[in-house]
Amino acid sequence: MPQLDRSAEADLDRVGAGLDSLDAPVGERRPGFWKRFAWGFLPPLGALVLLVVVWQVLWAAAFWPETQLPAPLSVWDEFWERVVTGDVFEFVWTSVHRAALGFVAGVLIGTPLGLLVAKVRVVRAAIGPLLTGLQSLPSVAWVPAAILWFGINDGAIYFVVLLGSVPSIANGLVSGIDQIPPILPRVGQVMGANRLASARHILLPAALPGFLAGLKQGWAFSWRSLMAAELIALSPQLGVGLGAYLNQGSSLNSIEKVIAAIFLILLVGIGIELIVFRPLERAVLRARGLTSSL
Amino acid sequence: MTTTLPTGRSSFTGATAVRLDGVRKTFGTAGRAVVALDGVDLTVAPGEFVCLLGASGCGKSTLLNLVAGLDAPSAGEITLNTSRPAVMFQEAALMPWLTAARNVELPLRLAGFGRAERREKAAELLDLVRLNGAGGKRPHELSGGMRQRVALARALAATLRVGGDPEQSLLLMDEPFAALDAITRDVLQGELLRVYRSTGTSVLFVTHDVREAVRLGQRVVLLSSRPGRVVREWTDVPLAEAEELTEEITGHLREVISTHAAA
Repeated sequence: MPQLDRSAEADLDRVGAGLDSLDAPVGERRPGFWKRFAWGFLPPLGALVLLVVVWQVLWAAAFWPETQLPAPLSVWDEFWERVVTGDVFEFVWTSVHRAALGFVAGVLIGTPLGLLVAKVRVVRAAIGPLLTGLQSLPSVAWVPAAILWFGINDGAIYFVVLLGSVPSIANGLVSGIDQIPPILPRVGQVMGANRLASARHILLPAALPGFLAGLKQGWAFSWRSLMAAELIALSPQLGVGLGAYLNQGSSLNSIEKVIAAIFLILLVGIGIELIVFRPLERAVLRARGLTSSL
Repeated sequence: MTTTLPTGRSSFTGATAVRLDGVRKTFGTAGRAVVALDGVDLTVAPGEFVCLLGASGCGKSTLLNLVAGLDAPSAGEITLNTSRPAVMFQEAALMPWLTAARNVELPLRLAGFGRAERREKAAELLDLVRLNGAGGKRPHELSGGMRQRVALARALAATLRVGGDPEQSLLLMDEPFAALDAITRDVLQGELLRVYRSTGTSVLFVTHDVREAVRLGQRVVLLSSRPGRVVREWTDVPLAEAEELTEEITGHLREVISTHAAA
């Protein structure tokens, strides 16, 4: 066996340390807060201003009657009135807490379902295609059935929201697990992880980027399904959510209300993306050194 | 936590860390089965460093998988007299979402160690591979050589047991340095020898690099290809004759490979 003497060993240490400092990837410095804020905030603001200007010009040119294209200002007035009377908070709260509850339930159902489909072959063969099919079925198609089964109540709405979100969440987890490099579960196996420990410590964290994409889509689908359900299923006991507000606008022939409602629905969608999913996604990708795409 | 050792393997006390008796491994169904390993007898003594040498297709990795318990032999018996063998692959295969220290802690966590003890042992192991300052770094912030050292620390951690007296450990290495550049490989070979000497673990090291095998191994075992059989062994490799020995083994390896030219 080759024996290294003490000075050779010290040499080796120095060479090793030198290699470490030379070969270690140089981390990119993150731009400062204000720079990131400017890049994230100013371009969309510019686009919004441009949109309003074009709208104002089109309105001023009076191509279409007022009942079809209202002035930006009269939509703003309608919106502001809702804010002042506090209605807007009721609408948003009614819808968002429903969507959030439905989404959480969707995660609780979709996660084990996704794990089963990904890891149990017969389950994948049996319901994998069904899950993908359901994902492309517009969940508004379930609204009539839900009303007949549950009546016009929260049960019907949650049913539609779940059918919208569960397939996306489960499929996101499945594709996340499918993309795990096979070496990682093998490492878990040689470290003595049983199936449960492997799922908890290796499969789920390794599948997180794909799962997160599924969650994002699941949220989008549950928000859409909710709006569709609220728009169709109207009842005093359901309270007034954004969908019901949109329906009001339509039945009152008030284009201002309709546009204000669409604007609010869009705002909630963007808000949840910016406040919840974007930071989550960034944190997950940054931890893995995958931020170059963002 | 149960170990994944399949039945048919037993522990016994004796001067052997691992013993393979007539191990045979075939893949595929009868008729067009491929024989990967045939009648392999091999022993590794406690604390011994054995290098398995062979060209591609000699079943080196298959053999390592059998010893690791990732696969079961078709015939023959593998006897382990050690704790669960630790395995290192050609890729570091670190969990990309965990820091270096957390990667080393993972096997300890699976084995049921408490948080404080995990921290302490992981720090010790990182110290052993000279990465005490890099515990908080993520794999993508480390160089290839550093990653492979974290993988070594993690493999060593996987041999530890809660409350267990220090059992004889066994390190299985599947061409761990093959993907590294020459100078990093050279440094890591030295590093491995240092860690090996300070831990007293047995090592079964698979490689296709004769020079590496001669430098690292106390014993070099040459396997033939398709099916893999033990062709020759060289024991007590002396440093002075390393150069000649490398030549000699390379000659044998070429011979083994040439026999496949006709087929």
